[in-house]
Amino acid sequence: MNATTNQSITVEEFNVISDVFSQAITGELIGMSNFASLTDTIDDPYEKMEAVEHANSERMHAEGFAAYAKKQKLNVKINLNGEYWGNVRKQFLSYAQQKDFIACLIIQEVMLESFAISMYTDVGNALGGEASELFLSIADEEKEHLEHSTDILRKELQKDPVAFIKKFEEIHFNCMTILAQFSATTDLRGHCGVCNGDCMKGSLHHIALDIVTMRGNAMALYADALDNIGIPGEKSTVWLAQLPA
Amino acid sequence: MVSSTSSIDFAVIGHQDNWEGIERFVNGLRTPEQGKLSVEKIKSIFPFIPPRVLFNVQVKSITGSQINGIYIDTFFDPDKLDIQYSKANSSKVIQAASCAEKEGARITTLGGFTSIVLEGNFNYFARKATKFTTGNTLTAAYIVKGVETAAGQSHINLANSKLLIVGATGDIGMACVTYFKNKVKQLLLCARSLNRLENLAKFLLEENVNIKFSVSVDELLQDADVIICVASTTGLNFRDCKKDALICDAGYPKNLDKRIHDNPEVQLFHGGMGQVSMGFCFNPDYSNSIYCYPVPGIAHGCILEAMVLAFENKIESYSTGRGNITTDKIEEIYACGLKHGITLAPFHNAYGLWPD
Repeated sequence: MNATTNQSITVEEFNVISDVFSQAITGELIGMSNFASLTDTIDDPYEKMEAVEHANSERMHAEGFAAYAKKQKLNVKINLNGEYWGNVRKQFLSYAQQKDFIACLIIQEVMLESFAISMYTDVGNALGGEASELFLSIADEEKEHLEHSTDILRKELQKDPVAFIKKFEEIHFNCMTILAQFSATTDLRGHCGVCNGDCMKGSLHHIALDIVTMRGNAMALYADALDNIGIPGEKSTVWLAQLPA
Repeated sequence: MVSSTSSIDFAVIGHQDNWEGIERFVNGLRTPEQGKLSVEKIKSIFPFIPPRVLFNVQVKSITGSQINGIYIDTFFDPDKLDIQYSKANSSKVIQAASCAEKEGARITTLGGFTSIVLEGNFNYFARKATKFTTGNTLTAAYIVKGVETAAGQSHINLANSKLLIVGATGDIGMACVTYFKNKVKQLLLCARSLNRLENLAKFLLEENVNIKFSVSVDELLQDADVIICVASTTGLNFRDCKKDALICDAGYPKNLDKRIHDNPEVQLFHGGMGQVSMGFCFNPDYSNSIYCYPVPGIAHGCILEAMVLAFENKIESYSTGRGNITTDKIEEIYACGLKHGITLAPFHNAYGLWPD
């Protein structure tokens, strides 16, 4: 698959690539907004500056995707208030309003970044040319966000393991439930409000992808992230098994 | 011998071999509000989960000592246990091995298909702080002791019997060959690789062992009084077996039970299984959904080998490679197990205890 020029792709490929870019740009803008909101929860001036830097990094990712989409004349639709992205944002804001920095970090840098890294990698490997390079390079940059949060969260876990795991569990079910519904074979809460026509998940085969593998890989990376933070496998297995599918 | 009680004495790396058990396990974790997932949905989740600790295990010895262990599941897809998936499965085993090491397990056994990795990559595992064993020696012990005991109960004189071993050139198959080579009237050897079979046959003929071999089980089946299926096989037609043949299903997964109806007079039991007489405790307890057996305390020999070695404070790679299991080692590990009340499991198959 070479998505560098739209001359070599079919209508079906064009439509699904358009939807993939729509989701990526929307996701990056959600990330940018989340990091911007995160700055209010941070007292440490250096961490505050880092959050702004991360917000800017997500903005640049969104711009990178948007520039490519414009060049290829893709049919991009951006909607930050759709069923899934909007509700993820609401979850984030509910913790940001409580100035709960750790909860915000868990949502943005563990949950959303795990999905972004994994899905960008899958898309990057499926698409050829410039699009592939774009997705894979952004996936690499997102990995740094995940690693950054892992160090902080590992220390937080060590301070009070019982309280931390309880808090993480609550956030897992509040936020990962939405991502699990979003990434299920069929949208479990209706249309996402981002795809142009029907849900793109049924059309991913046109670019040699399938939602079962993409979702599975994303959940696997999330599970690895939980392991790296130090969440016991006995716990995370139950959390994963209890998500909607 | 003193066993520690606070650290992780042993780890078991394993996998599930059927979707029915996985469905029970996954849906057993879900609340009524979350609802049950269909097998199809579970198939889209389960194999993607990275290897991780599923539960803790406490085991008591009849000597009064106690050991602590962990069970790490590799989350293999049970439909993808064939050799063609070995690369992906090996990668999961290596992840699971790292998990065991990270948890500080002193000795780790590789249960079921996970042991294939250790049979071929011993150098990789030899460098690890944790000692790894395939558990094949105790599995072999429970197979051969089980066959001897079951034959005795069924009034079958092994010295006058022809013993068919299906999967004769594998690690456990060769252990069975070595154990029985001078104890039966004739060894009937079957394996997929003719080259390996010929090499094994050459070695045995030099020792004047009475053998017959073939890559086709059909050519050997009708002569067999006793059959050990070490390799999981689909080619065994029970209608061609002697009517009162004794069959030890020691394959993984065990898949011969459904064929009993083709020849109800055969006597089939699940081989390679042991039992902890003092029982073991799982936390969380998933014994109602996975690893279900007719009576408590039953486990595969490969799993029990880690427990026996931990009880004995014998922290070594006891079973490694292929073809290294001697009769002396079979007797040694079996005897070590008995010291701690870890014995041959009661005979059973998928329909319950045997004979019922």
